[in-house]
Order: sequence, then structure tokens, then C-alpha cells
Amino acid sequence: MSAAAARPAADPRPGWRDRRELVLVAVTAASAGAVGIVNPGFLTVENLRFVALNSVVLSIVALGQTLVIAMRGIDLSVAPLMGLSAMVCGLLAQTHGLPLWGAVGVALAIGLALGTLNGVLVAALNIPPIITTLGTYSLFGGLTFLYSDGTQVDQVPPAYAAFGNAGPLGLPVPTPVLVLLLVTAACWFALGHSRFGRAVLAVGNNAAAAYNAGLRVAVIRIQVYALSGLLACLGGLVFVCYTGSATVTTGTGDHVELQSIAVALVGGTLIAGGRANVLGTVLASLFLSTVLTALVFLQVPPIWYSAGEGLMILVAVRGGTRRAAGRA
Amino acid sequence: MSAQRDADSAMPGFYAAQGIRKSYGAIQVLKGISLDLKPGRMVTIMGENGAGKSTLFKILAGQVPPTGGTLRLAGAPVALASPSAAHARGIYLVPQEPALLPELSVAETMFVGALPTRGGPLGRRVDWAAMRARARAALDALELPIDVDRPARTLSIAQQQQVECAKALLRGCRIILFDEPTSPLTSHEVEHLFSIMRRLKADGCTLSFISHRMDEVLEISDEIAVLRDGVLVDVVARPSFDRARLLSRMVGRPLKAVPRRAASNARDEVALEVRGLSDGLRFADVGFSLRRGEVLGLAGLVGAGRTEIAETVFGVRPAAAGEVRLGGAVVTGLDCHAMIRRGLVYVPEDRARHGAVLPMTITENVTSGLLDRVRRRAGLLSARDEARISAAAVRDFRVRCAGLDQPLRELSGGNQQKVVFAKWMTTGPRVAILDEPTRGVDVGAKEDIYEMIDAMARDGMALLVISSESEELVRLCDRILSIYEGRVVAELSGADISPAAVARSYLTAAAPSGGVAA
Repeated sequence: MSAAAARPAADPRPGWRDRRELVLVAVTAASAGAVGIVNPGFLTVENLRFVALNSVVLSIVALGQTLVIAMRGIDLSVAPLMGLSAMVCGLLAQTHGLPLWGAVGVALAIGLALGTLNGVLVAALNIPPIITTLGTYSLFGGLTFLYSDGTQVDQVPPAYAAFGNAGPLGLPVPTPVLVLLLVTAACWFALGHSRFGRAVLAVGNNAAAAYNAGLRVAVIRIQVYALSGLLACLGGLVFVCYTGSATVTTGTGDHVELQSIAVALVGGTLIAGGRANVLGTVLASLFLSTVLTALVFLQVPPIWYSAGEGLMILVAVRGGTRRAAGRA
Repeated sequence: MSAQRDADSAMPGFYAAQGIRKSYGAIQVLKGISLDLKPGRMVTIMGENGAGKSTLFKILAGQVPPTGGTLRLAGAPVALASPSAAHARGIYLVPQEPALLPELSVAETMFVGALPTRGGPLGRRVDWAAMRARARAALDALELPIDVDRPARTLSIAQQQQVECAKALLRGCRIILFDEPTSPLTSHEVEHLFSIMRRLKADGCTLSFISHRMDEVLEISDEIAVLRDGVLVDVVARPSFDRARLLSRMVGRPLKAVPRRAASNARDEVALEVRGLSDGLRFADVGFSLRRGEVLGLAGLVGAGRTEIAETVFGVRPAAAGEVRLGGAVVTGLDCHAMIRRGLVYVPEDRARHGAVLPMTITENVTSGLLDRVRRRAGLLSARDEARISAAAVRDFRVRCAGLDQPLRELSGGNQQKVVFAKWMTTGPRVAILDEPTRGVDVGAKEDIYEMIDAMARDGMALLVISSESEELVRLCDRILSIYEGRVVAELSGADISPAAVARSYLTAAAPSGGVAA
């Protein structure tokens, strides 16, 4: 208690003053409300449900990105990985009748294998992550092209569609939302309360110091990229179930790599690593989904959408660096 | 005697280096160091730049593997594969500026890599309460009033070192090495650190530290070990400490005739004048004047602020106070492009990063500093003109190469450095600042570079040379300023200049009450 009293007043407790989640909720609600005044159709239950469901895939992928950025890395290959997973699972279901549990296994296996490849390239061969994942971005996109062989997924078996849109056991909450809740809880627990997650943050804070403290930095790096790949492919599976379609540009066409980075940063994860905000990532995805849907309702030409995403990244990074500089 | 040592060396906490050697390529940094660290004793390592002090500590702490020799802990040989292996053996190195985990709390930084956990409904989870309690207890044990919930980034350097001490104890490390801990600290903070060290010593910890500050060393040490050129030249135990003897041990060199430069070329005209220059951070109140044809040296320990002074004069680092005059005109605050146009160049010490473009050819490198002077044809550079300039430079600077189109990467370090010089000298400067001009240069090329510098001075160029090798300054300079912790502490000229005098000039400054005459 006396130590607390001796602390200078301006000295922030970690995480205590950071109300990023509240801000995001408020801004999202305000945006939705404002759009609702202009176009009441926006605030229908059906549309809000769409907005929420629409953010789920991005949230899942962006949680993987959050882990990577928290470790001071970056994973551009999440977009083609998501597309590859959607395409492989969708085509196997469409043409070979692969059961849903098999698709889950395929998606997770692809994600683990290719995510591990990213991790090994970064950690063992010491290639900077932006270069590595730019390379594997093309590689994985190429695999999708090869595998699709000019075809695309346009309908999935009923079990898949039900998984993507309805709730299990007649619950009113769609399964993807439950999956997201599970993934979010796991990431929150891992980053906040597990040795593994704290090690990820330690590496993001200062990899050399983490190594000197006895952490196996290379192993942690590989694990985190593997997890990012895993979540990207899980996102791809959810996507193909939810939409019933996949093409060779699924993931890359929407710039999921940029979107996932943007929502992680807007959510409060530092681009320089060392601090992550899991709930912030999910809320920022919801915010982005709200804004993108609102743009449709406001009849803004789609050509402006990616400009808006770019602006979001710049604002988020600038905000993060200003705070980093201000507390030196 | 020997039997007594054998008995001692089996004690827990007795950490001995035996014949430790370390080479980087052909360069031998440590040439067989044998040193005993004993429980309850503080052994201080002293020595000049490049004596091998930090390398020795890194080996003792498992950060760098030795090339040869044995480490023995309580009599038994140990191999340390990593810093964490050293921690597991109870050996901890407190770095000069501890590596921070800025976003984590003080408590977590103390436990990183060994977080306490407890079982829970979701599996093992970090036990924050236990972690904070143990961190607080460790800080309390050293009477350190630091809040364990603070983000690590809010700690001062002194507090970071204090936290490191507590961290060492938390990990059960009782052999604690401090790599030059005091140089970033204020005197009050040094006193606090020493009180912690005394407490650790009284508690039976095995301590060792590196320092240049003689007063501190004499105050805290039980034994002083002097390293010189990778050799342990002296170990003295309290109470037979003797400042003069320690200084002469540090600077004393094998008898080697050090050539002095020929007669001075200095003319009357002042080319560069610096008055009361400070950057508000690393150096203060630096003043000197440099005449045409004169070679002025800056001597000092690594980190004394010499490079910072040069960068401020050159305009790449802002000045907080003071004035720089070039040929009589005030140029303070101008940027480096303006400085180059006015005839001042700076050849930085890190060639690969700031001076040379290794994949490019000799010609491209030589002419890259004066592209606006190469003749153009329809807006394009004249290749013939470039080749003419480059050929002249290669001849004048005795660059050994296969041809003008050879990439710089393929040349030896010495020849690369000559090309870098050529690049700057072809811009026709009146004043040149050379920062460590022969770092990474072989012996033969060194002499070529010395002769080039002599020739430039004969041509009337004013030269400021920064070097950490006393012999080099003796060989080159008309006058030498000695810098210690950002201040000019001595000036040597004429017959007073000798390698021992140069080294002594700043090492004595490290021992203000030393009273050792040159």
C-alpha cells in the first residue's frame, strides 16, 4: 500500500487506463445509430445479425494476427491461407461429399502445416516476417489456383450450411459465433494467464531479453505462426460454410491480411509488439463490419472501402505510436 | 598454499576461470585468463578499451562460448550453453543498461521465463498474486521501494539495475556480475548500488564488476584484476591497492617503438573553431580550434562522447549550446549537406552502414559524393568523366583492386576504407573528421592510410581524428584532446605525446584524486 502511495500520480498501471474496449463499443453503437437515422433499414434485427455474423470470420483470422503482432511479427499470408482452406474444404465437400468433421480436420491440418512453415522460415532461417509471409502469400495463393483447377465452390452440403448459419441443438445463436466465443476465450486466457501467452508477449517486448531469460524464442515463434495459420484456416472453413461459396480470390480479394492487421491495431494491440488486446480485436472487427455494411446502406461506391480500411490502419498505428512516445 | 586454494575452490559459490581464451576470426580477444571469484568477495575488473573485459563477463555468464579454457564452479567444470544455463547454475550478469520488457509489469519482468503457475479450472494458469508477492518480497529484501505493478518502461536505469539485482536473488543466483553498472548512474545512485552490493557481499554472494572509475573501484573492491590486451596483467588484493601501480598496469605496454609523425604542417589560419559546444546530453562545453594542415586527435574511452561531438560539429546531431565556425563563418545548426558544401566532411566509424555501398563498383562509390560535379551529357552522367575521377582516386589513394568496375564488397577492409576516403576527398574538403579511420583494417593498409592522412595535412587540410588506439593518435596527431564523460579533460602536444601519456590522460580523469603525473 505504501508503495502504491509512493508511485507518481501520472504512472499508469498496465491495462488499467486503457479503455479501448469501451471506446470501440461506444463508437460502433454510435455509428450504427447514426446510419439508422439516415436509413432505418440498417437497424433491423436481420441486418444487425448479418453485421455480426459477417465480422466472425475476420475476427477469427484477426485473433491469429493479434498473437503474431503481439510477438512483434506480422502474417500477410492469412488471406490466401483462409482462401486455400475455404477452397479445399468446399471442393472436397462439393465433389467428394467430405463430411463436416473431415473438413474441420482438413482445415486445421492445412493451417498447422503451412503456419508452421511460416514459423520455421521466420525463426529458423531468420527471414524477416514481412518478407517470409509476402513470399508465402504468393505461394499459398498459387496452391489455391492449382487445387481449384479453374473450378469454384458454389454450393455446400446442408450440414455445412447449417454449421455456418444456424445454431447447434436448436440454439438461437449461430455456430460461428459460438466458435468465435470459444476462440476468443482461449486467446484471452492464453495471452493473459498462460505461460505460453506471457512468453509470446515477452518475445514481443524484447526478443533478446526473452532469450536471455531462458525462453525458447524460436520455438515460441514457430508455435505462434502455426496458430495464426490454424485460425486463418478455421476462418476459411467458417467462411465457406456461412457463404456456401469460395473462389480463388477468397481472402485475398477482400484484403483480409490488411483487414486483420487493421482490426488488431485498432483493437489496441501494439504494432511494435509486447501488448495485445484480444477483446479489442473482436470489437474492432465488429466495428469494421458495421462501417462496411453502413457504407453499403449509405450507397458509398465500393471503390472507397479499401481506402477506408487503409485510413483505419494509419489512425490506429499513429495512435499507438503516440502513446508509446508519450510515456517514455 | 595450493592445497588451501584447492580446499577453497570446492566451496559453493567459488567460480573460477582457467585459461579462458576467445578469438573472433584471427583476432584473439582473450589470451588465457585465469581468475577466481570467491563468495563474499568483490573482484573488480579494470582495463582499457578493447582489453577484453566485457567479453570475459559474457563468457562467465554463458552469453558467448569461449574458444578455449575451462570454467569451474565449486571445483567442478561447467559448460554454459546459454544465459539460462548460467542462471540455472546460479550465475547472473547485470548488463549496463538492462534489456527491458517495457510493456510488462516490474513483477512480470522479474519472473519472465519462470512465471509461477497454479492449477485452475482451465488448466495451469499464471499465479499473479504469488508472483507479485514474491517480487515485492525480493525488492523489500534489498529495501527497494519500487511498485511491482508499474510498467517496466517507467523505471530509470538505476531502478532497472536494482530490479535486476532482486531478480538475480529471486532466481537463486548468488554469483552476480555487473558489466560497467555505474557509468550511466549519478553519484547518489552509485552509492545506492554500492549499498546493495555490500549487502549482497555480506550475505555471501560472489560478486564481480567492471568499472573505469578508480575512486569507486578502490571503495568497493576486495580484489582488483587488471586486463590488458586480453591478458590478465595483475591481480591485487586489499589492502595493497595502489592507484599509480594500477594505472601503469592498465596503460603499460610491451616495449614497441611507436613512430611519431614527421614535423607539423600546421599553418596559422584557423579552419575549424568550436566553442562551448554541448548537446545537452552526452557532452558539454567542448571547445577547440583546428588550424589548416593540423591533425588534432580526440582520445578517450569508448562511449566518452567523441563520436557525438563529431556528429554535432558535422550537423547530423543538434547542438544545445555553443558555436561552430568554419573558416571564420558561424555554421552552427546547418545540416550536413550545407557542411559538405562548405568544405567539412565526416568519415564515420561504421563503414558498412554509413560510408560505403558494398555492392556498387569502385567508380560508383568514389563519385557518389560529387555527382553534381561530374560532367553531364543531355542530363546523363558522363561515364568517361566518372572513370577519370575514379582512376585518379585509385592512384592517389593506392587502392589495390582488379579494376575500377570491381564491386567494393570484393575489396579488403583496408581498401574499402581507402575508397571511402577517396570519395570524400574528391569533394575537395578543407576540414575532415575521421572517426576510427583504421577500424577493421589490416596492418599494411593501416600504414597506407596514415601516409594518406599525412599527405592531406601537407596539402593544408585540417583533420580531426577520433581513435581508441593510443598508438594511432601518437602516430598521426600534432595535438591530442582527451575526452572523459563528455568533457575535455586534458590536452597534449609536442613532446608530451606518447601512448602511455594518452591513455593516462583519460584514465587519470577517471581517477580524479589520483595525482598520477604523466
